[in-house]
Parts: sequence; C-alpha cells; structure tokens
Amino acid sequence: MDTAIEVDRLSKTYPGGVRAVREISFDVPRGEVFGLLGPNGAGKSTTVGMLTTTVAPTSGTAVLAGYDVVRSPLAARAVSSVVFQEPVVDRVLTGRRNLDIHARLWQVPAAEAAARIEALAPTLGLADLLGRPVAALSGGERRRLEIARALVSQPRVLFLDEPTVGLDPRVRAELLGVIAGLRDRMETTILLTTHYLDEAERLCDRLAIMHEGAIVALDTPAALRAGLGERIVELRLREEPGAALARLRDRGLAGPDAFAVGTSLTIPLHLGDDPSAIAQTEWPGLAPASMTTREPTLDDVYLHLTGGQLRDAA
Amino acid sequence: MTTIAQELGAPLPRLARTPFGPLATLARRRFHLTVRTPRELFVPLLTPLLFALVIAPALRDALHTTSAYEAYVATGTIGLLIPLNTMFAGLSVLVDRETGAQRELLAAPVRRPLLVLGNMIVAFGVTALQIAVLIGAARARGIHFAVDGAGIAWFLAAGALFTIGMYGAAEALAARVPRAEEYISRVPAIAIVPWFLAGSLFPITALPEALTWVARFLPLTHALALVRYGLLDDPSGLHNIWRMDSTGAMAALSLAVVAAFAALLTAAGIRLFSRTAVS
Repeated sequence: MDTAIEVDRLSKTYPGGVRAVREISFDVPRGEVFGLLGPNGAGKSTTVGMLTTTVAPTSGTAVLAGYDVVRSPLAARAVSSVVFQEPVVDRVLTGRRNLDIHARLWQVPAAEAAARIEALAPTLGLADLLGRPVAALSGGERRRLEIARALVSQPRVLFLDEPTVGLDPRVRAELLGVIAGLRDRMETTILLTTHYLDEAERLCDRLAIMHEGAIVALDTPAALRAGLGERIVELRLREEPGAALARLRDRGLAGPDAFAVGTSLTIPLHLGDDPSAIAQTEWPGLAPASMTTREPTLDDVYLHLTGGQLRDAA
Repeated sequence: MTTIAQELGAPLPRLARTPFGPLATLARRRFHLTVRTPRELFVPLLTPLLFALVIAPALRDALHTTSAYEAYVATGTIGLLIPLNTMFAGLSVLVDRETGAQRELLAAPVRRPLLVLGNMIVAFGVTALQIAVLIGAARARGIHFAVDGAGIAWFLAAGALFTIGMYGAAEALAARVPRAEEYISRVPAIAIVPWFLAGSLFPITALPEALTWVARFLPLTHALALVRYGLLDDPSGLHNIWRMDSTGAMAALSLAVVAAFAALLTAAGIRLFSRTAVS
C-alpha cells in the first residue's frame, strides 16, 4: 500500500454552523512529509482532529494506512500517533513512565518497548532525562519526550500538530533539527501542521496551504514558489497600498497576483517582464520608501493566497 | 481512494483481543498518578474520621445516647467518605483534560469507555482502602460492630455498588463542566447535602415527613441502611424505608436500588465522557 493518508472531500461543520473544514481532499504517499500550512483558524487542527478520531467529520472520508477513521477508528488509531500542539503529558510521572504507558496502550510487547525506548532516548537527547518527572523538564525537553513517545509505537502515520509553537527560537531550531533527522532516518509518513513558513519549507516534501477551511494550494515548496514567477518587486509605501495597487493594475504594471500586506506592495514578475526595466519604472503617483527585487519565498506565496493573515496571526 | 476490500486486505495493526490489557494499563497509570498526589488519598478521609472518632463520642456524651450511637455514626460516615472520595477522584479527570494526557489517551487504540473504567478501578480501590482504615480506626477507638458472613456480604455489595455509582456521577459531572472551579462548586450539593438527609446521623423518620419521603428516594439512604444492616445487624434503616416485615426482602430491594443507581450513573458517566471526547 503506497498511500498512507487519503482524504476525500472531508468537511467539518461545528454546532452553530461554523464551517471549520470545507471539502478538502489530498493523498499523502508513504514516507512523505506533508505540511498543512495556514493561519490560526484555517482548519489545520480540526483536520488533524478528524484524522486522529477526536473530531467527527460532517462529511467526506479519511483513510490512514488503509483504515477509515470513521468505520475503523481503533485500527486507524493503532497505526498512528500524535504530537499535540499543547503539551499532553502526565507531568507527575517520569518520562520513561509516559513512554511506557504509550507503548502498552499501543500493544508494544514490553521487551520490544524497552529496546525502542533505549534506542530513541539518545536520538532525541533524552538519555539522561527519562528518569525525571516530566514537570522537571524544560519546554523543549518535554516536546522531545512527546516526539519520542509518539515514535515508540512505530506509527505508520505521525501527526505533528504545530510541534514548535510556543518554544523559544533556540529550542525551536533544535527541535526542527530533530524532526529533520527523523525524516531522513524513518519511513514513517508525517503530517505536519504549522504556521511557520521556514519550518514548512525545511521539512515538507509537499505543502497544502489552508485558508478559511479550504485548501487553496497544494504542491512542493519549489513549485508553489515558482507559481509566483521568477522574481518579485516589493514596494514599501508611505500611503495606503490598496488604492496604489488598483492604479498599478489599471496601468498594466501589476498583474492579478500582486498583493498588498500592511504598507507593502508585492508584485510578482513573470517571463517576459524585464526586472531592470521594472526597477527603473516611474511608479505613477507613488513615492515608495523603498523598493527591492528578489526571488519569491514561500512567505510571498502564502501571503498572496491567504491575504496576509499569517503575519497577523503569528 | 481506498475501497473496503483494500481496507480488509490491509495487515491488521496490533489491537487488544480483550479489553483487560489496556484496562490494566489505564488503571496502572491512574494508580501511579494517584499515589503521587497524596491529597487524593488522605483529604477525603479526614472529615469522616473526625466524625467517627471525635464528633460521635462527643455527641454520645453530650446527648447521653448509648454507645450504639457511636457505631451508628461511624457507619454513617461511610456515606460521607464514599461521595467525597469519588468526587475527588473525578477531579483528576478534569486535571487530565486540562493539563494531563487525556488527549493522548483519546488518540490511543483503546475503546473510550475503558478510560472511564480504568479510573474507576483505582477510585474503587482507594475508597475500599479508606473504608477499611475508617472501620479499623473506629474499632481501635472501641466502637463495636456486629458482623457475620452474610452481614459482610450485604455491606460489601452496598458499599461497592454505591462507590461505583458515585464514581459514575463524578465522571458525568467532570464531562459536563468545563473547569475544575465549577466542578468543585458542585461537589457539596452532590456529596454532602444528601448525607445529611440519608440517615447518617439520625434515622430518616426524625426528619419532617416530606424530607423523609425525599430520603427514601436517595440511593445513599438505601446504601447506609444496608451498611448498618451488614455491619451492625441493625435493620431499622431498611424498615424506615420500606415498612415491610421481611428484612431479607427489604435488603434485596435496597440493594436493587443501589445497583440500579450504579448501573445508571456508570452508563451516564461513560456516555458523557465518550460524547465530550469527540467534537
């Protein structure tokens, strides 16, 4: 079986009519790291909730390693593990006890579980920490413990729901290194949700960008960037950029994929556009505080597709 | 997309053939959490011990009642111990939900009712231990119990079923309220008010007529009447409820009431937990 996650027109409408997820579809091949990228409220965690059987889908289907999450929830849970957005651990118990409970619940034989824990501990920098109560561990250590716990059962599908949120930059960088290392060593399929673009770009083979419950783009990071052209011009304005963007569009200087965020106007350049000519353009009626041309980033793709909400949320 | 045939053809993940393995793991987890929070063991025991060992003898001396009154109150305090302890145990469910590993357990390949039952096993064991301590302390204080084999059976059955029912109530309440503060604010109404009405310190017939009728419908009244019948060979509580001639029939009826209470509240606790576990 080559497809680890199959999602078909999956939707969730909460009581009160809030449509958190709207008919999303995607497949994730075995071994791929797949990212769900989106601002807070985009529907990422609800999607993970449906895939981990803690949120009941309103319609559509989701299948993990061959098991439908609605028809065979126990089997779907048996082949998957989750690292949650918030710390979800028994704080008064030791790290080892937390790992052991996971192993037992996932029916890992005791000897095998002990061997796996011994193997995982040094990989995740936990070798000297497992005997301590979790309450005595730092935020980063707890996160590594939670990742180790999720891996003890050797899941076919691993969900990482915003695993670095709330961590300081040093710990976050450290944890990204750990996840990247896992990605290189394991065959486990990983579904990662994040609103950090650098995280998505570094870790994910493919990305789905979610906005208001729907998937608005799905491709490799490189292909998503290429969709915005070869280079972009970024103008920082002293005035409200919406009206300026409209004027530039009227004059054919900006295409439909140009967008405004805060006081910045971002104008993608496509084949046929001459960057040097653009750079020398007299911008009609505008007095930009600064102008730069550069290659598009995932940040630009994201802001173009979601209307700049990521920066607002982060 | 995957078809049913493909799903059936997929190698089965490792799943428990019986619920006992996961249930033992869940109970072991709860036990380890409980022993690391001693308040759950000792705090519920303090008030009943105070009643049984200090207040009951003081009441006997002040009111010039017989020494049997001490035994009456000592057994009555079991009716306080069980609700207090099970309600404290229910609080740990909220702790699990707010700052513990409940979401990890919900993502585990175990049936969700087992999460409730795993907690219940430990609450039951801790309550049994506390009742044993209470009875042991009462005996050490010189309080006399009149027990035989059948009496112990009635006592154990009533105590066990009432504990199960009260733990079901605690789980149901924990599932219904969003925060620990709200849970705690409801505990007195559930754990303490019925105790005053259920014949713990005096027979229910000493209450105003209307409250006597209310008391007859309280599961705690039936449980306490059975406990006293079992431990003191005193069927007066059963007579006050049923007004029948046959003590055995009255005891059986009261046990049926407590069993129905246990079944109903356990089902409610499991149902509410399972429903709130999935949004």
